[in-house]
Amino acid sequence: MPSVCFYFQVHQPFRLKHYPFFNIRYDHSYFDQEKNGGILRKVAKKCYLPTNQTMLRLIDRYQGRFRISYSITGVAIEQMQEYCPEAFESFRELAKTGCVEFLGETYYHSLAGVYDEAEFQLQVKKHADLMEHCFGQRPTVFRNTELIYDDRIGEMVAKMGYKAMIAEGADDILGWRSPNFVYSSTNPAMRLLLKNYRLSDDIAFRFSNQGWQEFPLTAPKFANWVHKISGNGEVLNLFMDYETFGEHQWESTGIFEFLDHLPGEIFKHPDWDFLTPSQVVERYNPAATINFGRTVSWADIDRDLTAWQGNQMQKSALKNAFDLGHEVRSRNNPTALDLWRRLLTSDHFYYMCTKWMADGDVHAYFSPYNSPYEAFINYMNVLTDFRQSVLNLKPSKEARA
Amino acid sequence: MKVLMLGWEYPPHISGGLGTACEGLSRALSRQGVNIDFVVPHLFGGEDAPHMRLMDPSKVSGRVEAPMHKSVSEVWVEGQNPLLGDEPGAVSARAALLAEMGISVPGKPGEQGAAGVKDPNINVIKIPSFLSPYLNAASFKRKRRGLFGKGGLGLEDEAFLLQLETLDEILPPAIRSLLPESVSAGGGAEHYAGDLFQEVGRFAARALGLIKNRDYDVIHAHDWMTFPAAVALKALTGLPLVLHVHSLEYDRCGGNGNWQIEQIEKAGLDAADQVIAVSYYTRSLIHQRHGVPLGKIGVVHNGVYAREMVSRYRQEQAWPSKIVLFLGRVTFQKGPDYFVEAAARVIPHVPDVLFVMAGSGDMLPRMVERVNELGISNNFLFTGFLKGQEVEKMFSMADLYVMPSVSEPFGISALEAISFQSPVIISRQSGVSEVLSHALKVNFWDVDQLANLIVSVLKYPELGQDISLMAGEEVRRLRWDASAVKTVELYNQTLARISG
Repeated sequence: MPSVCFYFQVHQPFRLKHYPFFNIRYDHSYFDQEKNGGILRKVAKKCYLPTNQTMLRLIDRYQGRFRISYSITGVAIEQMQEYCPEAFESFRELAKTGCVEFLGETYYHSLAGVYDEAEFQLQVKKHADLMEHCFGQRPTVFRNTELIYDDRIGEMVAKMGYKAMIAEGADDILGWRSPNFVYSSTNPAMRLLLKNYRLSDDIAFRFSNQGWQEFPLTAPKFANWVHKISGNGEVLNLFMDYETFGEHQWESTGIFEFLDHLPGEIFKHPDWDFLTPSQVVERYNPAATINFGRTVSWADIDRDLTAWQGNQMQKSALKNAFDLGHEVRSRNNPTALDLWRRLLTSDHFYYMCTKWMADGDVHAYFSPYNSPYEAFINYMNVLTDFRQSVLNLKPSKEARA
Repeated sequence: MKVLMLGWEYPPHISGGLGTACEGLSRALSRQGVNIDFVVPHLFGGEDAPHMRLMDPSKVSGRVEAPMHKSVSEVWVEGQNPLLGDEPGAVSARAALLAEMGISVPGKPGEQGAAGVKDPNINVIKIPSFLSPYLNAASFKRKRRGLFGKGGLGLEDEAFLLQLETLDEILPPAIRSLLPESVSAGGGAEHYAGDLFQEVGRFAARALGLIKNRDYDVIHAHDWMTFPAAVALKALTGLPLVLHVHSLEYDRCGGNGNWQIEQIEKAGLDAADQVIAVSYYTRSLIHQRHGVPLGKIGVVHNGVYAREMVSRYRQEQAWPSKIVLFLGRVTFQKGPDYFVEAAARVIPHVPDVLFVMAGSGDMLPRMVERVNELGISNNFLFTGFLKGQEVEKMFSMADLYVMPSVSEPFGISALEAISFQSPVIISRQSGVSEVLSHALKVNFWDVDQLANLIVSVLKYPELGQDISLMAGEEVRRLRWDASAVKTVELYNQTLARISG
């Protein structure tokens, strides 16, 4: 009896305000309240609220047979609570249905899993506490920032007691194997759910693309593709940004109607149902062990880390930020610690990516900056002030006059 | 495709980016199979243009220097001008021109080199004997002093005056008024000097004499100085006219431009069948300033030649401080004052920086004064005008190039700086910002942000490294070949529109 496993990512970074070099030592407020509030309210209105309504309706309509999962970052929850409490409440409504699973991740949507294991563990715990506090469930399945995964990370997360992780079903990792089975990681206690990126991206990226030969995508058509998996797979992992609904694909594209009709169309084949990730690993045994010899993410076609650490600026910014970890954690200053951790959010480094800039691609779409260079400048200015003014450390070599 | 191209200067004798652009575009056009006759007012020797026929109408139509110790029938003409030398087509063109004027040319082309070529850089032309009466030393001097000015004037000009009468009625007044006076007055032959209008008129007159009997498909002229000649040629021949705008008077002078130049620009652009702008920025300026419909203006961005990366001088010299460079004319258009003001904000934070202003111009004295007022002269250097190798050396020493232009049709110098591995900050009010993504960009008036960007490049070395790495790759893709393809496309569209 094959299953569809829906997982949605909900995240909003604390974007920095314009922070020129000359503010260093004088200005210690780093974030653009107005912009962050504006974006959160806009996304809540276009996506979170209407999509949550649709999900609640579907769960209600199918009396518990429609199930979904989310991971919501701590920084997104904080911003919802501050700028749009209604959106936060509607996620709590979803939690109460019992049909929604919340996955674990780093509270700050950081790259700590790659650079700083001690920090990683602290952020993961902080996030798990938050999930328990807000939604009454402690996560048992883990989703690392941007689906960044390799064997080392799998090992690390297994040690922290998680039973499964979700990851990208990258072609070079899978080889001839199908993403539509549960796999075991190199740690036998850790299961892996791999994203079926073709079918996921049909919804997330191609849904409204009029140049696509399958346009327009309808719920019956998509359900038909899903049903074809019967006999060749056990679980279809559809993982995507939650903003797919209403924000990347606008309401006018018909995305909400599609979502509303999809479960009914899937259920037309009596074998199929919907499960959350922890239910998937309970029901299905791993088909095989799978090695992730390289670090994989779900970003770009490269599906690696180059979106965050591909150039000299990113490497330098990451190093300068993570180098402060030991110092800032030893201070017993929760405000400074929280400030620093907000600066670890992966988005800041993503904005500095230069690799596809000429194509005016998704990096530019998501960036609040005019260019990756300005993103770097702004970040380094803020980090320099944090280092010198908040931590009262001597200027680093780079920043010394 | 055969194109008559009119320019005002050609490397290495250039005063701005126009000559460089003409060289780049014409080379690439010739690779596209376009046959070009390129006419400039003066050739100085040393021009390297094997890809096309480079013509100097002043040499052809009678501006011949006659050294007194030579026989009057044998005149030296300086310049490495293939037209006048042993290039047979050129000689026969001249012969045909003279022939059409009812003048018989004695001797066959092969005999014209009889005087012997003594120096490869000097072409010897044996002046036909019929000219001798006019060109004895005494009458030559008289002519120079008198009627026709110091450049002298040959028969072609008189023939032109005849032709001009028939043109009179169809030329726009701004251009008509320019032509005859300047021919008879005959200005000095100095580059961008003397009475520019006389020179422009003289160029037009001579170009008219030069091109007869040649079967061109299109006339393509670069910037206002060549517009009168181009418009007159169109009137004379009926050929389609493409005018290429590298900069407008507005770009050079803001709102205080010379009205006569603006009139010539407008008259030319109105008469043109197709206008080419070097950027969308310039396109919209042409539309706003001269009312030219946007549909008539195509955009062809400049390219750049992949040059061998010049080894950086500063590494040899171990120059002690970081250098932030402004290089260009020190005029209103280039925004030198914003550079100075930004420097004053940066210097307190980066004590070992050196700001360099390379170039001269009418705002230079004010800039020197301002640097003193601000008390930053220890960190500020004025080099004056640089040329040739000095420019290359300066670029290669720079840690950062800043182009804060108030109005910049393109700004090819930013691409040059990049080819010397320097990161660049460019104003958003520049055409080059349309094609360059790997640069820091700023509104020219935003001095605070300019200072922030400068200090960041100096403080965070990775920034400059990444910018120059990525920009270098980007600039290598900005090839003149792409510009030429676009230009040919516009030629074809123009021809199709006119014949259709």
